[in-house]
Amino acid sequence: MDDPRNRQYTNGEITVFWEPSKCIHATTCFRELLEVFNPGRRPWVNMEGASSRKIIEVVNKCPTQALTWKYNSDLSREEQESVSQKNGTKDEVTPETLTETEEQSRPVSIKIMRNGPIIVEGEFRIIGPEGNELKTLRMTSFCRCGNSGRMPFCDGTHRKIGFTDHNG
Amino acid sequence: MRLQQAQFRILKDGPLEVTGNFVILDARGEEIEKEGPVYLCRCGGSRNKPFCDDTHKTGNFSG
Repeated sequence: MDDPRNRQYTNGEITVFWEPSKCIHATTCFRELLEVFNPGRRPWVNMEGASSRKIIEVVNKCPTQALTWKYNSDLSREEQESVSQKNGTKDEVTPETLTETEEQSRPVSIKIMRNGPIIVEGEFRIIGPEGNELKTLRMTSFCRCGNSGRMPFCDGTHRKIGFTDHNG
Repeated sequence: MRLQQAQFRILKDGPLEVTGNFVILDARGEEIEKEGPVYLCRCGGSRNKPFCDDTHKTGNFSG
């Protein structure tokens, strides 16, 4: 049976299929390509954020096939019809909202990615430089390279500038 | 005593202060630290990554 939370996103050339029930929060998609896969945004998939080739490369790395893709020319009639009905919406489920049932007592997981950002998962608060509370999230990534264009969060700039963990 | 909810404080032009109930893991999933407060480098220049060593004060990091 088709899950009503499933979504499809297209750029006219390829279509990406999102099946939240298969997601295990490996976070590969937004660690690799935050320009396209960003759980902090709605819709959380922006097909204009990178080339089809790059999107395909990252979707292929999804360990559970929660994300899959097809060339639009290979879509079945049903899939073509449902693209228009199931594209991104404001109330869609993302890898971030999926964790909402987790216990509050569980420690927040802070993972230092090699040559990359800090990935945070769990129940936490973010306080900005002026003491203001920033949007509370279940999952986010903080910049560690010092050059993000959307501080304090990662925007993928670390790859462009060749940031490394090498000290000095 | 139950630890408080984890909190991330963005220090102006400085590191990320982490307090509360958390665990920090390296890229291989091994635990590095779980007791706060911890200060994580945000400027990219620390010689003690992922922790802050005050290098941000010598450069022109803003954010």
